[in-house]
Amino acid sequence: MKLLDPFDNNIKLLQKVMDLRSANQSVIATNIANADTPGYSKRVFEFEDALQSAINKPTGVMETTHAKHFPHTNTDIQSLHGTIREIKDERGIGDENSVSVDMEMIALSENQILYESVAQLLKKKLAMFKYAIQEGK
Amino acid sequence: MDIFTTFDISASALKAQRTRLNTISSNMANVETTSTPEGGPYKKKSVYFETKPVSFKDQLNASLKGVEVTKIVEDESEPKKIYDPSHPDAAEDGYVAMPNVSILKEMADMSSATRSYEANTTVIKSAKRMALKALEIGR
Repeated sequence: MKLLDPFDNNIKLLQKVMDLRSANQSVIATNIANADTPGYSKRVFEFEDALQSAINKPTGVMETTHAKHFPHTNTDIQSLHGTIREIKDERGIGDENSVSVDMEMIALSENQILYESVAQLLKKKLAMFKYAIQEGK
Repeated sequence: MDIFTTFDISASALKAQRTRLNTISSNMANVETTSTPEGGPYKKKSVYFETKPVSFKDQLNASLKGVEVTKIVEDESEPKKIYDPSHPDAAEDGYVAMPNVSILKEMADMSSATRSYEANTTVIKSAKRMALKALEIGR
């Protein structure tokens, strides 16, 4: 990896994580907003496992030995989308609403902290480039 | 999908909870009202919450829902009867039909509405902090 490739995989990964965390924030907001809506099923935004496997994938690039070969590039992280799963209330009591506000509040702060730490990482990474551009001054 | 989706969703919930609180205050204010323009004592009112789509842009946004109060329903249960022959609205037998509002239930409902409101303001605060943090990148 070149040291100063501004579009290396790390930056792409950090951008993607910020996108996904921001989407997750909206999903948690939906759950909290509908905490009193009868019959509402809680939504969970799942992307962490998919992201993990996209990172661990070997980043081999295939050679194109023929003009008609499709180039094989590693776009897994870019094309990654989270999925939304609905969890129905199975308890059979109350108004069939499966939201637990305190669990959602925990998810909310966790998501916020992780988002902020990624933003911090991105900031530091860009600061590094800036330092290099300014010849270490 | 942007940071403002979160604001839209939480704002719809703030509005709905505020309507709920207005309904509760109407119930509390009319706990002794024996006469209404429709006739009979005041009837307890409750809000009816329903999910409300915020955006139709894509699959992800389609399953994100805000909330809104679609109707306010009246409780049709029997009014409470209190014996008070001197009351202007007393019936022949001396009983007065009082509203079917329970102060205790209203108080509990009020706390619940307040907590829900607070939870949603926390979400907005958190989303705002995230947006500001993103602006710090490259500063």
